[in-house]
Amino acid sequence: MRQYLRNTWDGIYTAFVGMKITFKHLFTRAVTIQYPEVKVPMVDRARNRLYVNIEDCIGCEQCSKACPVSCITIDTVKSTPTDPVGTTSNGKKKALWVTQFDIDIAKCCFCQLCVFPCPTECIKMTSVYEYSEFERESLIYKFASLSEAESAEKKANYEKFEAEKAAAKAAAAAKPADQNKTE
Amino acid sequence: MALKTERMVLNMGPQHPSTHGVLRLELEIEGELVTKVTPHIGYLHRCFEKHCEAMMYNQVVPYTDRMDYLASMYNNWGYALAVEKLCGIQVPERVEYIRVIMGELQRIASHAVAVGTFGLDIGAWTPFLYLFRDRERILTLFEMTCGARLLYNYIWVGGLSHDIHPDFVRMTREFLESFKPTVTEVNNLLSYNKIFIERTANIGVLPLDTAINYGCTGPTLRGSGLAYDLRRDDTYSIYNKFDFNVITGQGLQGTLGDTWDRYYVRVQEMLESVKIIEQALDQLPAEGDVQSAIPKRIKPPKGHVYTRVENPRGELGYFIISDGNTNPFRVKVRPPSFVHLEIMDDLTRGHLISDIMAILGSIDIVLGEVDR
Repeated sequence: MRQYLRNTWDGIYTAFVGMKITFKHLFTRAVTIQYPEVKVPMVDRARNRLYVNIEDCIGCEQCSKACPVSCITIDTVKSTPTDPVGTTSNGKKKALWVTQFDIDIAKCCFCQLCVFPCPTECIKMTSVYEYSEFERESLIYKFASLSEAESAEKKANYEKFEAEKAAAKAAAAAKPADQNKTE
Repeated sequence: MALKTERMVLNMGPQHPSTHGVLRLELEIEGELVTKVTPHIGYLHRCFEKHCEAMMYNQVVPYTDRMDYLASMYNNWGYALAVEKLCGIQVPERVEYIRVIMGELQRIASHAVAVGTFGLDIGAWTPFLYLFRDRERILTLFEMTCGARLLYNYIWVGGLSHDIHPDFVRMTREFLESFKPTVTEVNNLLSYNKIFIERTANIGVLPLDTAINYGCTGPTLRGSGLAYDLRRDDTYSIYNKFDFNVITGQGLQGTLGDTWDRYYVRVQEMLESVKIIEQALDQLPAEGDVQSAIPKRIKPPKGHVYTRVENPRGELGYFIISDGNTNPFRVKVRPPSFVHLEIMDDLTRGHLISDIMAILGSIDIVLGEVDR
């Protein structure tokens, strides 16, 4: 009986100890924020949506090789001497046309492993985190600046150049052979 | 005439809110008493170990994040230690200190979730909110340092992905100062609350010999009274430089090794982690490149290695076999949660159904790690 009363008293007393603490917290500043209206500022190193500055991309494919979930697809075409690609902002000469640079952001695991190996620092993580879409296809971001027709043109250009080079080579190889014949 | 009774099978989960993830418990009950518990796992299986075989060594690190998502730093660290041992990499001292600080902050964050959700399972809502408020501050410290709040990919093989933020040391000290009163509050709100004690003391008693036989580690084993802590007993990194106590259960509110003991070990361990972080911040070398020891290409020699670290939940072991390639031949993980889930049947036998959630909360499993 005595123990029963003691337990009851302990139950009431310790509950009041807790109440006292919660009552104190009534007068502290709220730590929650009203999200859509108020937003937490993002830190400088925030790792959210990927962004590619395609002007600086040299098409080395190091980011797609580093990606553990293979969410980056890159396709390139070699440039020809008559139609150079240009240079990056830090003066590096670009040798490849980037005809395709797709990032499937739905697959991305935000590990930032693609950012570190980039030689021109053109792929980086931004602080944008609100980008929901209704269609899954809309989450495949296409960063390549060339249109489909342009890509086809560059490809045709390169093939033509290669064919001409091969023809020239064949001609050069054929010439000495001809000379040998005549002598 | 004796009353004819029949055993009934009851499914708890996988959508039960107190199963801490997606765990299905198949209960065999006799009236209100549980006679057998069979955990069914695999709802979160993501083929971690098989995936690793197709990844390069540094690409595995983001995958380890996703195992025990409440203690990602520790998962990174265990993996990094294993590969460093395999390759024979010596990391700079500053890296070791930062790793210890991050690991112990992660331990506080993980125990805060464990203690908070444990109270939530019992029906105490308030301490959960206070602990999550403080956990948010730890996550902000992590976010400041590496940019992510939950899946860090911070501790790399041979170094760290970023150096700490210039404000990090100051903010960590501020946090530690403000965190100590929270622990006192939680003790007054929850640990010494009579109703809470009645729900947890003498429930789910885990005798020490059973705990050892099942291979329990971490707070689950220490709650049964054995002072076994890998940080002290199988020192890795620079834990031998710090002064801290290994907390064990004392059986203060009932039998030794009951649910309350396991819970209270976690509460006290948070304060021990605070002690370690304070010492580490004092000794932290001011200068040093945290990426100087990171190899350009990780290609360990042929061989195998097993390393273990004291995860917030227990012994987290990595067994890696290398065949001399850039991909690991095999990565095997020994997760503490998986081992601890096995004791559920022993612990719950003869208890009420309402006690099952208390017991499950006290062994603190993370299903992401159980299933991998």
